[in-house]
Amino acid sequence: MSGVVLPEMREARLGNGLRVVVARRPGVPLAAARLAVRAGSALDPQGAFGLAHLVAISARRGAGRRSGRAIDDLVESLGANLAGGAEEDASVHGLSAPVEVLPRLLEVLAAVVARPTFPVAEFERLRRSERAELAHDADEASTVADRALLEAVYAGHPYGHPVEGRGQDLGKIRRRDAEAFHGRWFGPGAALLVVSGPVDPGATVEEAERRLGAWKPAPAKPAEIPSATRRPRSVVIVDKPDASQVQIRIAGVAIPRRSPDYFPALVGNTVLGGGFTSRLVEAIRVNRGLTYGVRSRFAVGRCTGIFSISSFTKNETAGELIEVALEEMARFATSGPTGEEISRGASYLAGLFPLSLETHDQWADRIADAWIYGYEVDEVRGYQERIRAVTPEQAQAATARHLPIEDGVVLAVGPAGPLEQQLSRFGPVEVWPVRRVM
Amino acid sequence: MDLGPVVAHTLANGLRVRVLPDRLVPAVSYYTFFGVGSRNERPGITGISHLFEHMMFNGSERYGPKEFDRVLEAHGGASNAYTSNDVTAYHDDFATDALPVVIDLESDRMRALRITVEALDQERSVVMEERRLRTENSHFGLLEEQLESLVFQAHPYRWPVIGWMDDIARIGREDCLDFFRTYYAPGNASIYVCGDVEPDDLLRRIEAAYGPIPAGPPVPAPIGGEPPQRGERRASIRHPAHASAMLAGFRAPAAREPDTAVLDVLQTCLASGEGSRLRRSLVQEQEVAVSVGVGFTWRADPGVFLLSMELAPGASQRKAEGALWAEIDRVASRGVAERELGRARALLRSSTLHEFSTRSGVAHALGQAEALLGDWREAGRSLERYQAVTREDVRRAAREWLAPSHRNVVWLDPEDVS
Repeated sequence: MSGVVLPEMREARLGNGLRVVVARRPGVPLAAARLAVRAGSALDPQGAFGLAHLVAISARRGAGRRSGRAIDDLVESLGANLAGGAEEDASVHGLSAPVEVLPRLLEVLAAVVARPTFPVAEFERLRRSERAELAHDADEASTVADRALLEAVYAGHPYGHPVEGRGQDLGKIRRRDAEAFHGRWFGPGAALLVVSGPVDPGATVEEAERRLGAWKPAPAKPAEIPSATRRPRSVVIVDKPDASQVQIRIAGVAIPRRSPDYFPALVGNTVLGGGFTSRLVEAIRVNRGLTYGVRSRFAVGRCTGIFSISSFTKNETAGELIEVALEEMARFATSGPTGEEISRGASYLAGLFPLSLETHDQWADRIADAWIYGYEVDEVRGYQERIRAVTPEQAQAATARHLPIEDGVVLAVGPAGPLEQQLSRFGPVEVWPVRRVM
Repeated sequence: MDLGPVVAHTLANGLRVRVLPDRLVPAVSYYTFFGVGSRNERPGITGISHLFEHMMFNGSERYGPKEFDRVLEAHGGASNAYTSNDVTAYHDDFATDALPVVIDLESDRMRALRITVEALDQERSVVMEERRLRTENSHFGLLEEQLESLVFQAHPYRWPVIGWMDDIARIGREDCLDFFRTYYAPGNASIYVCGDVEPDDLLRRIEAAYGPIPAGPPVPAPIGGEPPQRGERRASIRHPAHASAMLAGFRAPAAREPDTAVLDVLQTCLASGEGSRLRRSLVQEQEVAVSVGVGFTWRADPGVFLLSMELAPGASQRKAEGALWAEIDRVASRGVAERELGRARALLRSSTLHEFSTRSGVAHALGQAEALLGDWREAGRSLERYQAVTREDVRRAAREWLAPSHRNVVWLDPEDVS
């Protein structure tokens, strides 16, 4: 079977150190651009959780000589979309636009990332609305579970808070904090510009030089984040007395994207809980009808990552679901996957891989990801072979090492009273109010 | 949009097949649409279309229970499905080599699905969890269920696609067998394929696999007869919540009516992007809402044009709602500017190009167009339709469809969360 063909790639480094990658490929007459900076929520100072996120979303509200409204009008009148966001390891501003207007909008993208003005009124409004949105998030049990999980698994680590921050911290962050964060970390030496689509690579690099060549270096080098440590088993119940269904997570510290365990663990996890015929789906959904959805995954960052099982069930069966999930993890770790399971899992991952690189946006994201997480874009060419080369023994070993069978966190969002009785058998229980994680 | 290379063929048993070869990537997207959704249901078995969708993965004559996805994954593929008010669509993405297997799997379940009480009971509890997730523990799920039952009094759109909990518990094996015989025959189905295939070869394989399946009975017409709405209707949901939210709806034209393109333009002017009217006025300038949205999904029968808002904790419902209707009145009385129309056309063009940038997007668009507009070719004509919309069309459509006497409004009234 033929694999993935790399687009025609043109790489350049500008005089100020900015890396530029242009991927020329056929397809619909749109173009995708990403301008990524290696400064994300892991650099949020203590007491200012959410700062990187606020910087990312407010940059769009005024840059260079343009107001936020002028940027909206220009971008949207050309049929384009421009949005910025932070993740743990980076801030990424993305542009998707009709290819013919790309040069005009690269200028806007460059200004938003290199020269944001953080207008006071806009910054204050966003700060208020972000806090108000947390009130709606507090009513979404799955969002509450995902937020609580970071704190429970990573306690004290720079990845241990939600990117969107906390209400209390958002209340204290000032415009000058945003300016200082941007001034300290945002510079061409810690940034990458990617453009993908039916574009002229030479002209695109020239355009990048024109728009970003004068961007001055930042004083600070991108900080490397330490790895995280595994912790003894704890059970966290986030109390939501009105819920008729419990959101459940079982998770622990696992691997970064660069780990040698990445590929065998990816295949192993497909068997355990990644695909639709996984052991967890079979045991929990198909055989017992306990849930509509259950999956496990390795979420990988630059310096570390998290393994998690996510599911939900009616209040009465939360303990049963967790019990089955823990049993399945233990069974996987001791007796491993069969040859048939590994072959099926590998075929599934390898067969669908080309469809993850169909669009200009997917290519731009992949190239930016490789840079952020520290792997080679060229990996995509050998991806399917690497997946198919994984043996059952390698998958078992690489996955089992990182499963929170005895340690990690068992987390449930639902009514604390009945849950405490069901869940105390899994470890020492802490009950948190929802507001603790908002 | 160039759909010139699409090869269209109809089998003697009525099964329609549309193929668009695209050999750039060694993969294929394969959709099977059945012309049945919650619109074809009746009280007592609401939700059967969706519950039945789950049953399609539980074994057929030559593939036992749990086999469908196992075989597909082993050949480098994955499946999914959805049920809407109007259609049920099954979707397989897979590596090129899996094509013969997919045709075998799909034709076997269309020809001879197995329906056991055991599988039905297990899927019933899965669907009940799905309902708890999406409706009973979701504010917008609760609001939407309440709103549709305000907008519609007679038409089956008044009940949720997932069905009422009691009906999910009640649906029996006989109901399912009857449903399968009535709605899952080739005469009520169509297949859309986009990707690395050779059309003649594909059609030969489909003819061989699906050709012998009998056409099936004529499909009964759904219940209609929705009376006109003669005044505003309101309801509220009391539920523990940290902040309030609103969902409003107006009856909207059926997909085949020309005003759907106008309402697409209107919704883009109102709520797509930071520079849209509602976002600018309600969220940025007046700060009466934290978020605002418009949802207009095309339906086979007259559907609904939705407006939603989330409020900051403690914010005034009256003020937010007043601000929303003031904006709607402004469009209905004065229309939109030429530059807003241009902006909407540009955004809709990009969004259509995005849809056509994946094999799945193209195959789905063909199926959607044929199901709702009666012709797959319409998928390639959406840009022309948007181009033809005038400022006067937008003003007239806002005045006609979003009139105050046609409003339906549901508020979430927060109860104390502690």
